[in-house]
Amino acid sequence: MSNINGLLSLKLLGFSFLSMSVGLLFMGLGRKVTARIQRRLGPPFYQAFLDVFKAFSKSSITHNYVMDLGIIMSLGGLIATAFFIPFAGYAVLGSSSIVIILYLMSIGYLGMAMGVSASGNPNATIGISRALALMLGYEIPIVMIVMAMMLTYGSSDLLTFATAQQGGFANWHIFKYPLGFLAIEISFQAMLGEAPYDHMIAPAEIASGPMVELSGKYLGIGFLLHAVQLYVETGLIVNLFLGGASTWYVFLLKQFAVYFTSMCINAVMARYRIEQGIAHLWKYAGTLALLQLFITRLGVF
Amino acid sequence: MKDINELIKKFNSFFQEKAVLTRKYKQQYQIVTGRDELLGILNWCKQYSFYHLANIVCVDWLEDEEFELVYNLWSYEFKIGCLVKIRIPRARPWAPTVFELWGQAQVYEQEIHEFFGVYFPGNPDLSSLFLHNWHDLPPLRKDFDPVEYSRQAYTVEGLGVKPEYEKEDNSEGRES
Amino acid sequence: MKKNVYMTNLRDERQNAWEGILNYFRKRSMWMLYYCTGCGAVELPPTMTTRFDMERFGMGPMATPRQADLLLITGYLSVKTLKRVIRSYEQMQDPKYLVGFGSCPINGGIYWDTYPVINHLEMFLPVDMSIAGCMPRPQAILDSFEKLRDEIQEGKAVGYKRYEKHYDWYKANQDKVLNREDAVLQPWEDPFADKPTLEALQAGEKMEEGEDK
Repeated sequence: MSNINGLLSLKLLGFSFLSMSVGLLFMGLGRKVTARIQRRLGPPFYQAFLDVFKAFSKSSITHNYVMDLGIIMSLGGLIATAFFIPFAGYAVLGSSSIVIILYLMSIGYLGMAMGVSASGNPNATIGISRALALMLGYEIPIVMIVMAMMLTYGSSDLLTFATAQQGGFANWHIFKYPLGFLAIEISFQAMLGEAPYDHMIAPAEIASGPMVELSGKYLGIGFLLHAVQLYVETGLIVNLFLGGASTWYVFLLKQFAVYFTSMCINAVMARYRIEQGIAHLWKYAGTLALLQLFITRLGVF
Repeated sequence: MKDINELIKKFNSFFQEKAVLTRKYKQQYQIVTGRDELLGILNWCKQYSFYHLANIVCVDWLEDEEFELVYNLWSYEFKIGCLVKIRIPRARPWAPTVFELWGQAQVYEQEIHEFFGVYFPGNPDLSSLFLHNWHDLPPLRKDFDPVEYSRQAYTVEGLGVKPEYEKEDNSEGRES
Repeated sequence: MKKNVYMTNLRDERQNAWEGILNYFRKRSMWMLYYCTGCGAVELPPTMTTRFDMERFGMGPMATPRQADLLLITGYLSVKTLKRVIRSYEQMQDPKYLVGFGSCPINGGIYWDTYPVINHLEMFLPVDMSIAGCMPRPQAILDSFEKLRDEIQEGKAVGYKRYEKHYDWYKANQDKVLNREDAVLQPWEDPFADKPTLEALQAGEKMEEGEDK
């Protein structure tokens, strides 16, 4: 407990605001990218900020206290994950264990599941069950890749992986472990819930899934959730495969590059059915990750 | 049976003067009959390849004091349509249901019952399908006046709606 | 003179400075729920997509009433639809705006003399903006949204406050149409309402010829 002093809490507060605003900025830019692909002008890049402010200015309706609790737990879990992601080589809590990150990330989803299921809307329940089913699909490839990394470096620290890639492009894991990068790129699409894995939020099909009963401030928190999730997951990939970064703007640029790729795929793909999506993830991302694991082990021996 | 003329001959010999069969257009025949023979004729038609009931139409003949029910059949074998028409009195209109012959006829009859007031004994569900809380004459009858209805049911004058600011306290001087 | 009264009252609610700041965000990010009651919905895809691109104003379609700020009534409203529209409107969260699309919500349009279509939407729900035309082209739609944005900023688009304040007035009008108890013109006397006739018919007995006439 003595570790929690004033400076650290200030830092944590700053970090949570950083993760939210980076995520919101990316969301706006992503909408712009999609619009340009569809030959539209698109909204201004700060549109996501306007949306969130507006959502918080609306009145909102809650169904029971479990709903409030679940949403807050979800946001808390994701922000806690963000503390463990090294931002430009700086981990605010001093530790950046990937095991903790993977563990905390699922709290976000579980909180969301608890909150929106309490709202009682069947569409929300369908959406969240799809999200949890999809989680089975993408967690396995990710864990296999992380295992490969951990076996190589004998450590579970994300910062160790990032610093090991310093010294030029050739050291980046994207070139050292190309199969693993492909696998995690496919899984990333599913993690963010972008097409072709946007079963969870399928507006024309199940009326935006988990968000269906969220109104006003709850929807604002939903937006923030997505923003923090964006920050965490792009940060994870940058640290794992793109060599981390020593300065903040390089880190942000790399994060955006990852998100940009994702948005480009999202803009041109259609949606899988849920069982096709999971099968696809296991077949392709899973196989690639497994191959990567074997190759890495052979290289070690 | 491949020839339509043979079928017509068979029809005429079977029903004789109970039904009048005429050719309306190149691909459309018309059978005019009575209420009592309706089920028999429809059954016969269905047996001889007219097994598609496209729809049921009701026509209001106000001067004749009669409703006309038109059953629209189609044969995929001959590529020929057939109208079976019956006339029923307007005062107490009823017709036998063809729900047992064609399942989809249930909805058609429900609709006709709602919009014309024709009763189909034997139809399992004749509840209101489209109209909301309707107490007036069935609206597609010719003696129903939709303009007058709309004036009285939906306009400001008809509903007797007062301006909303009359509810306020300081509204005395603002009227007019 | 008196006929215009119903459309022009109570549009000037005062707003404080904080409300003015919030209104800036509200006008820059309007999420709409378009109620595809009629033909007007077909004008929205061109407004949303490449050529006219509604999203540059921060507007976009939303899936449920809970999330939306803007309810579009695109086309004529039958009585049965009105009930659903009222329910959707009441599910939306404040502040909410209602836009009537085309001439049908204004005065009934070409359906003014038909039996199931209501004539004036503003008698049942507070309309913030009406777009005339049958149907309005995307240019007209965007122009009206531009005007709506101005009204939101000035604090004039306060239909939801009007609805709260005069709920009894709106509710009374809604009830007059939705929960009608008597016939409007002349009541319908069903000749088959009495039980014996009905049972005789269902048993397959023939009606007497004298009664048929």
